[in-house]
Amino acid sequence: MKFKVTEDENISTVFLNGEIDMDIADNVREVIFPLIDSGKEVHLNMKDVQYMDSSGISVIVESNQRAKEKNTKVELKEVSQPVEKVLAMARKFL
Amino acid sequence: MGGSSIAQMNHNEKKAFLVKTSSLKDVRSFCREVFEKLEIDQNLKDELVLAIAEAAQNIVKHAYKDNPSSNDIMVVEVSCVDNKLKIAFYDRGTPVDPEKVKHRELDNIRPGGLGTFFIQEIMDAVEFKDGKKPWINHLVLTKQL
Repeated sequence: MKFKVTEDENISTVFLNGEIDMDIADNVREVIFPLIDSGKEVHLNMKDVQYMDSSGISVIVESNQRAKEKNTKVELKEVSQPVEKVLAMARKFL
Repeated sequence: MGGSSIAQMNHNEKKAFLVKTSSLKDVRSFCREVFEKLEIDQNLKDELVLAIAEAAQNIVKHAYKDNPSSNDIMVVEVSCVDNKLKIAFYDRGTPVDPEKVKHRELDNIRPGGLGTFFIQEIMDAVEFKDGKKPWINHLVLTKQL
């Protein structure tokens, strides 16, 4: 699965889409982690994500931790309703 | 969690899937189709699909972690009797120790165990039963609709 990535000065935006599960999570890491490692601020556009499970949450948590180590940050943008619902449930736990 | 539903009919359907991460989307599709037939509302349907997908993922991730190239199957069975929804999982992976299947402490900031937390949040009951031959693990999730 490929994800569109746009660059705007020091911000990289990754447009995630479809269903983010354990089968896809490593693909997402492969796209996001090098951007973080290069020191860029990374925005994850979630408007076209129809489903996300704990694997997707893991990717977000790991990305945040990695960004902190690199003195940058990861932000979620245009979070879709299904993703917001899962994030709300996860916030009780994380 | 969840909303109302109008699952008034009794129903039973089951399907076998290869124990692979690539099967998880098929597990979700199967469950969505069954829940459509049961006329379960969208909000609850999304939650149930998440719980089922997390349980199936646990089979792939934990019960088969030492045997990732296995061609074994797992079976997912969805039944609804008198508005009580029961989702059963059968697999032949490493035997699950129910005592070890719990989400971690809330002050430990790591994502591990989140799937188990989701399952427990969404479902009314989570039971590990003795798997009868040829099965080793038999997990049953229930929810009153």
